[in-house]
Amino acid sequence: MTQTFKILVTGPFAAGKTSMIQSVSQTKVISTDVVTSGDESEVKSHTTVAMDFGTYRLADDDTRLLLFGTPGQARFRFMTNILKGDADVVAFVIDAEAIETHAAAGVELRALLRDLRVPAVVAVNRCDDLEMARRLARSLGALAGEAVVPCQLIDPDSGREVVVEILLTLLASMESTKAEVA
Amino acid sequence: MEKVKAVVEGVASHMSDLVPPRHVAAPDEWTAPPTPGSSFGVTETTAEESRSDAAGAASQPVPDPTSVLDDITEQVAGVRGAVLASVDGFGLARSGSMADEASHPAMLAAAIGLARQLASMGGGDQLRQLVVDHDAGLMLIWPIGPQRVLAVLASSRVDQRQLRSVVQLGVATLVGATA
Repeated sequence: MTQTFKILVTGPFAAGKTSMIQSVSQTKVISTDVVTSGDESEVKSHTTVAMDFGTYRLADDDTRLLLFGTPGQARFRFMTNILKGDADVVAFVIDAEAIETHAAAGVELRALLRDLRVPAVVAVNRCDDLEMARRLARSLGALAGEAVVPCQLIDPDSGREVVVEILLTLLASMESTKAEVA
Repeated sequence: MEKVKAVVEGVASHMSDLVPPRHVAAPDEWTAPPTPGSSFGVTETTAEESRSDAAGAASQPVPDPTSVLDDITEQVAGVRGAVLASVDGFGLARSGSMADEASHPAMLAAAIGLARQLASMGGGDQLRQLVVDHDAGLMLIWPIGPQRVLAVLASSRVDQRQLRSVVQLGVATLVGATA
């Protein structure tokens, strides 16, 4: 029997959410990219306005991930509220170098975790240092045991490392559920 | 519970009784793919064109997009308001009857973004319009060139044919003015 898990991929504007889904999805990504305007066009040329959707299936296992990516800007917060229901893991993508986004990202991550009560995987983009990535994730409100992945999401292999952490996190949360039942 | 139906024309052909067929509803020049020089596709101007526009601006009055949206709202019975947004969710103009709410243009951008994907799920290449039919009326949403979105809020009994011809005229001036 195939087990399907819903992964909410979220985080601030231009953090690397769409890149991550594009790099790991095994099916054609459903994307809602449009050209940016105003100040945002100086940061990047395109942005997600509704959602990204991709999938990932383990070859030798009946485990399937459905990746739902949100837009990053506050004006699209209603899309995160629509997409977050029943998520099993929050994959929170943050750009280590975009320091000006970190304060609002922390508020958002804490609110999401309080609301969803599911584990998080924090993907710290444009970062090679695990210790630095951990410090940033903790400052955003990630718990001590939660997975932190320093990554370069421009590189597809980096996206796969995030998926590995998502799978390990799912495994750990299933085992803790089993232990509670027993 | 509010019942909301979003219909992408071309996906749900049985809605043709509510949404008049395209040859009436949306003449070709309205929804035609952007081509250089066509009145609806012009959203980018070259430096050279910008200079000539600037030179001509003094002699040609530039219509204010807000007044175009106000005109649409006032001229067609049953229309409650209109909003013009960029495809990335910023408000560009709204009729005086609409509240200044940052999430409105963002929702229009998200809806059109998703509707384009739904059109492709239906085998289509080009989204013509999005209809949200709900218990308090209709919202009709059209892509205006590649970078903008126009929404008109109306009563369920609005004369859609009249609305479309008024909107089409308004859009022609908008494209000329704010491209």
